[in-house]
Amino acid sequence: MDSNKKYWKGLEELNKTPEFVELNKHEFAEPIPIEEVLTVGGLEGKSPRRDFLKALGFGVGAVTLAACQKVPVHKSIPYLIKPEEVTPGIPNYYTSTYEGQAILVKTREGRPIKIEGHPNDIIAKGGASAQAQASVLDLYDVNRLKNPLKNGGDSGWAQVDDFVVRELLNIKASGKKIRIVSSTVSSPSTLGVIADFIKQFPAAKHINYDAVSYTGIIQANQNSFGKAVLPHYNFDKADIIVSFGADFLGTWISPEEFTRQYVSNRNNKSLESKKMSRHIQFESGMSLTGSNADVRIPVKPSEEGLALVALYNAISGSTLAGTKAIGNKVAENAITIAAKELVAAKGKALVVAGSNDVATQVLVNAINSLLGSYGTTIDLDNPSLQYAGNDAEFAELVSDMKSGQVDAVFFLNANPAYDYYSSKDFTDGLKKVGLRVSFASNADETSALCNIVAPNHHYLESWGDDNALSGYYTVLQPTINPVYDTRQAEQSLMKWSDIPAKDYYTYVRNNWDKNLLAKGGLSGQSGWETLLQTGFVKAAPVTAGSYTFSKDLNAVAQTIIDHSNLLAGDKTELQLYQTVAMRDGKRANNPWLQELPDPVSKVTWDNFAAMSPSDMKKKGLQDGDVVKIDANGYSIALPVLSQPGQAQGTISVAVGYGRTVVGPVGINVGKNAFPFHSLRNGTLQTSATATLTATGENSPLAQTQTHHSIEGRNSIIKEASFTEYLKNPATGTGKGEGHKEYDKPDLFWQKYDRPAYDWVMAIDLNACTGCGACVVACSAENNVPVVGKDEVRRRREMHWIRIDRYYSFNDNGDGGVTREHEIAKLEDLDHVKVVYQPMLCQHCEHAPCETVCPVLATVHSSEGLNHMAYNRCVGTRYCANNCPYKVRRFNWFNYWNDSRFDNYLNNEHTQLVLNPDVTTRFRGVMEKCSMCIQRIQAGKLKAKIEKRPLKDGDIKMACQQTCSANAIVFGNVNDPESEVSKALRSERTYYVLEELNVKPGVGYQTKIRNISEQEA
Amino acid sequence: MASHSESIIREPLITGKNITYAQITNDVLRPVENMPGKAWWIGFSVASLGACLWVFAVSYTFWYGIGSWGLNKTVGWAWDITGFVWWVGIGHAGTLISAILLLFRQNWRNSINRSAEAMTIFAVICAATYVVSHMGRPWLAYWPLPLPNQFGSIWVNFNSPLVWDVFAISTYFSVSLVFWYTGLLPDLATIRDRATGIRRKIYSVLSFGWTGSVKTWQRFETVCLILAGISTPLVLSVHTIVSMDFATSLEPGWHTTIFPPYFVAGAIFSGFAMVQTLLLVTRKVLGLENYITMFHIEAMNKIILLTGSIVGVAYLTEFFIAYYSGGEYEQYTFLNRFIGPYWWAGCMMYGCNVLMTQLMWFKKIRTNIPISWVLSIVVNIGMWFERFVIIVISLHRDFVPSSWAMFYPTWVDVSVFVGSIGLFFTMFLLFIRVLPSIAMAEVKLILKSSSEQAKKKLIDGGHLEPEQVEYYKESLTSFDSVDITDYQKR
Repeated sequence: MDSNKKYWKGLEELNKTPEFVELNKHEFAEPIPIEEVLTVGGLEGKSPRRDFLKALGFGVGAVTLAACQKVPVHKSIPYLIKPEEVTPGIPNYYTSTYEGQAILVKTREGRPIKIEGHPNDIIAKGGASAQAQASVLDLYDVNRLKNPLKNGGDSGWAQVDDFVVRELLNIKASGKKIRIVSSTVSSPSTLGVIADFIKQFPAAKHINYDAVSYTGIIQANQNSFGKAVLPHYNFDKADIIVSFGADFLGTWISPEEFTRQYVSNRNNKSLESKKMSRHIQFESGMSLTGSNADVRIPVKPSEEGLALVALYNAISGSTLAGTKAIGNKVAENAITIAAKELVAAKGKALVVAGSNDVATQVLVNAINSLLGSYGTTIDLDNPSLQYAGNDAEFAELVSDMKSGQVDAVFFLNANPAYDYYSSKDFTDGLKKVGLRVSFASNADETSALCNIVAPNHHYLESWGDDNALSGYYTVLQPTINPVYDTRQAEQSLMKWSDIPAKDYYTYVRNNWDKNLLAKGGLSGQSGWETLLQTGFVKAAPVTAGSYTFSKDLNAVAQTIIDHSNLLAGDKTELQLYQTVAMRDGKRANNPWLQELPDPVSKVTWDNFAAMSPSDMKKKGLQDGDVVKIDANGYSIALPVLSQPGQAQGTISVAVGYGRTVVGPVGINVGKNAFPFHSLRNGTLQTSATATLTATGENSPLAQTQTHHSIEGRNSIIKEASFTEYLKNPATGTGKGEGHKEYDKPDLFWQKYDRPAYDWVMAIDLNACTGCGACVVACSAENNVPVVGKDEVRRRREMHWIRIDRYYSFNDNGDGGVTREHEIAKLEDLDHVKVVYQPMLCQHCEHAPCETVCPVLATVHSSEGLNHMAYNRCVGTRYCANNCPYKVRRFNWFNYWNDSRFDNYLNNEHTQLVLNPDVTTRFRGVMEKCSMCIQRIQAGKLKAKIEKRPLKDGDIKMACQQTCSANAIVFGNVNDPESEVSKALRSERTYYVLEELNVKPGVGYQTKIRNISEQEA
Repeated sequence: MASHSESIIREPLITGKNITYAQITNDVLRPVENMPGKAWWIGFSVASLGACLWVFAVSYTFWYGIGSWGLNKTVGWAWDITGFVWWVGIGHAGTLISAILLLFRQNWRNSINRSAEAMTIFAVICAATYVVSHMGRPWLAYWPLPLPNQFGSIWVNFNSPLVWDVFAISTYFSVSLVFWYTGLLPDLATIRDRATGIRRKIYSVLSFGWTGSVKTWQRFETVCLILAGISTPLVLSVHTIVSMDFATSLEPGWHTTIFPPYFVAGAIFSGFAMVQTLLLVTRKVLGLENYITMFHIEAMNKIILLTGSIVGVAYLTEFFIAYYSGGEYEQYTFLNRFIGPYWWAGCMMYGCNVLMTQLMWFKKIRTNIPISWVLSIVVNIGMWFERFVIIVISLHRDFVPSSWAMFYPTWVDVSVFVGSIGLFFTMFLLFIRVLPSIAMAEVKLILKSSSEQAKKKLIDGGHLEPEQVEYYKESLTSFDSVDITDYQKR
């Protein structure tokens, strides 16, 4: 039944009033005042309650919906097209070259993140210097030039090319001189490009200019034997080494190579065959080499030449005209002993001198000739090509520039405005040059004066090659696309001189195909591919000939004595040197190097005037007091540092500091000491006389070690003399001398099984030279923060491995004096013995840190390692307090996200250098050496994938890998045949502070000094 | 309780004539029921400025990290843990007075226990703030607690003395708080009964409906005794465990078995010194000389002398053991306190704690209020240095000389410490305005037996040995709250 019921909502609807009909046409019966709100009064307009609620509802809804969007997530974007060779998470290694040394570059997802020594490299056999380790960070330096500059302003390559080519053609027409100034170029292809450039512009000439020059040696060999070469030294063939100021382990010519050679006669293997070389060092400032010497005699720069004359006389049995006494009794005695020992070891002896003076080096040649060193310890026929700088040529260039004869200069990896001794002459001259081109990849003092800066690639972005030692050809291949709009210098030169090759890569290929591959027995495409995998070719060496010195020495001796007279006197003698970390200052913008403590002084972020403690006392100076040093018409103010072993009456100042145009890291760190050099007889001299004036200011040095003696604590450092060692190899370790056995069943400690692996380490104190390459390698591997000068002053550096350095003083015979209050009473602080001890987490079996952590953030693994769970750490710092070795490091600040620590972790771009396998640490968290746990895991995983047991040597620690001296051995002690087990079986093994029963996992081998009983 | 007569040779614990129960209530509640005076406002302003400094300095530390302090790779604890141990030590007198002296029926404690317990609680609060603020990641400060968590099977390390410390301090704090509050109940009820309006409401809630019936009193006394029993071991345990933060470590200068008794004695020593510092001022400002008398002052001085001497013996023992052990690191550590770069801190420690307190052997000094007050401050300075010496001097030169370093405090270190003192006094000054600073109910207990007027009545009764009366009168001469002429009439 149909219903005729009618439902209605109001009388208006029932009656269908016209108003109702009108209103009912719209969706909403009441008009919504949206228009009104939007146009007229905005929110001030009166809106009915319902509208308010509607608006509110809509608003809340809309905002809620809008807020539903996900928080932005930084996603790592997977490869759209995956490069065949790149697997995310798996590193690739490429061979390349760092300053002539074959290296491996570790890349992750296309980013180079670590430099590692090439195991087959003939220079360091897998080692790499601190500088090499740090060089990868320069790639990510945000202060690199991002595009070419013209007259100081940004420009493009087309404009730059136009300008340079036009200028060059004009100059060619005018016939004025063109000069290419570079630090020594040993790359065959680069030399080829330069030669081709010179072919195009015959007025051009290439000048090798080294900030720290070896012209003296090269010139001396020319004078003595008619061979203008830097010889190749064989320290491994020398039973006795006498060095006059040559820091061959730290900075001299090829320190990594020399370290390897030197240590091969002093390490455990050598000692076990009852053999140890002897090393006597005469020098003014305490160098890394001097600190490793068996006998070190401090001599003033003025006495160095006299000592050499005396040595010559003693060996030859004749007396050179004009000979005069050294005036230093100790040195005279030492010379007599050294002469006797050298003669006894004829053919296995080596005398080297660090001086850049031709006469001095001629005399050294004469001595070596008498000792029969040529053909054995010195090789003139397979020379080193690492340095070819010619001081006189550059001086000539400066005068040419001043007289307006030069109209174009190109600077390739050379920065004379900073490091030339007379930079004012240089800059004055440069002003008269029309075309000034710098290839600097970072703005520097010289590029600031150039009208064109054509930034070079970083070496990791470049193709190229090198030839550091004759017959040793290494290849340089890029491991990343150029980050900025830079261009390789060789490419620029090719472009400007119309060299026909398509690009520099083709040029290098052609050069190798034509000239170099054949030297290694390779050829063609397959040869090239093999080369890229092996990294180098080695031509068979020429037989080293023996050379006899037969020139007249009287004039030479006279020059040396004149020079000595010039320096001697009442004034302080100033000696210039390079630090192991900073070298010539080219890498001043590298925070890893700035924070790497100098091996001897342990100073970071500064240079200083090293002065003997007795001189400081006489002058009433304290560490850090700033003195003004005047020499050669130049003066700087530097803080002084009391340096035991510094020859009295001398100061030593490091070059390589005081850069004024460089990135924010290196700017105004220390003062520039290059202008203290002087040009004498055509070579740059590294000594001068200076006057010192105290300024009354004090600028505390940022040292990572502030107490310098061992305080008689012979359970930390154990040492013995070689004669004692021969009688009983365990001398010094305390074994068999009432030595207690601490390995008793224990009340408090449960014994845990180490079923598969028990990772331990052995460190040979007799192999470690203290250079500090491991410190930088560790920082690179483990993303260790750099904290800056102020924080180092507060003793808060973060290094996971450090090299402790202790002095002990001789006290007329009865052993070393090491206690603070006894040292204070000593008169003679010159004769000091030094010992280095790498110190890192000892991964104690009974770790004191583990018991005290309230939250179990640091615990032991079943593989014998002490783990650190950053995420669990709440930061009570109790573990650090309870660590007897003080190796734990606390994150005092948020180093990777705090603008006050703008060193490297803070920058998104620089962060790309971080090792993705190692997390960065938040503030408030403790960290320390993890035994490169990421490497252990990777090694185990690799073995597992390859279905084989882990082999000894598969896993290497970052510190171990970079050590040219092989002082660090890591491995599984469960395997009795592993290297580390063998090393720890050495009678010399001891454990630091073993009486605490913490059972460290790192064993040390005693330091042995080759000193006779009366010297001990 | 003790309504019997006390021997005349005992000195009175309450002085003044015509002291009645009502009088006591009036005297004690004067600051609670009236507007504060000028002295209080000045003190409060200074203290709260200090508290503000504390808030600022701690916030600064939280914002930037522990690096804003002067710590370094070698010295991982310095002013923070020095301050922590110092405050915990100060917090010891309260429980000792309220619990141990109660069990030993030392009635003189009745006048001072309230303030001492309040002081304990505030000192432990100050100490606890250090526990949190010294952490690298203070927002995770709850992790050392064995809480069930979603992190998997992560548990705390029960081997770590820091975990024991968490238990020790939190137990001590909660028991002290309960004991203190229980003791407050009858007094809160008294305030409630005298108050009107909103204050009455507040105090009636706070007094938990105290009725004052015999049954209530009986239960009250029982609870107090039980709590005293519980608290007594805590007095010994807390600082024992704090000392284990050091004693269980390897660090020379920390690794000594004498630490537990030595720390407990030191804590009582510093706690009493702080009570002395506060009460000598409070009794004057609040006019409570009749309740905190010379007897109390001298008694506390004697305890300071005793514990100071125990500490002195501990110092000597430490030195002897260091020598006798033959351990070269330990020997150096102790020598380093005198010949090292921090020799002055060592001298402050031994001078203030041992030499200065030996002055207390003289009665003239024990009963001299200004000197007592100065000495109490000296003890607190000395005890701060003791902890500084133990922590910083031991750490700064331990095993490996390459890592030896100096510690220099920053402004933040100083501000956190000075600020914590401000925080402490702010809390104490607020306390004396809202709660009775003397336990009225407990003082009233002894009014009939141990007060001066009760004793006078005995003398007036005339049945006492004359020499005993003379002895009694003699002892009264040192009281600054007794009018000695009253006794010379006869």
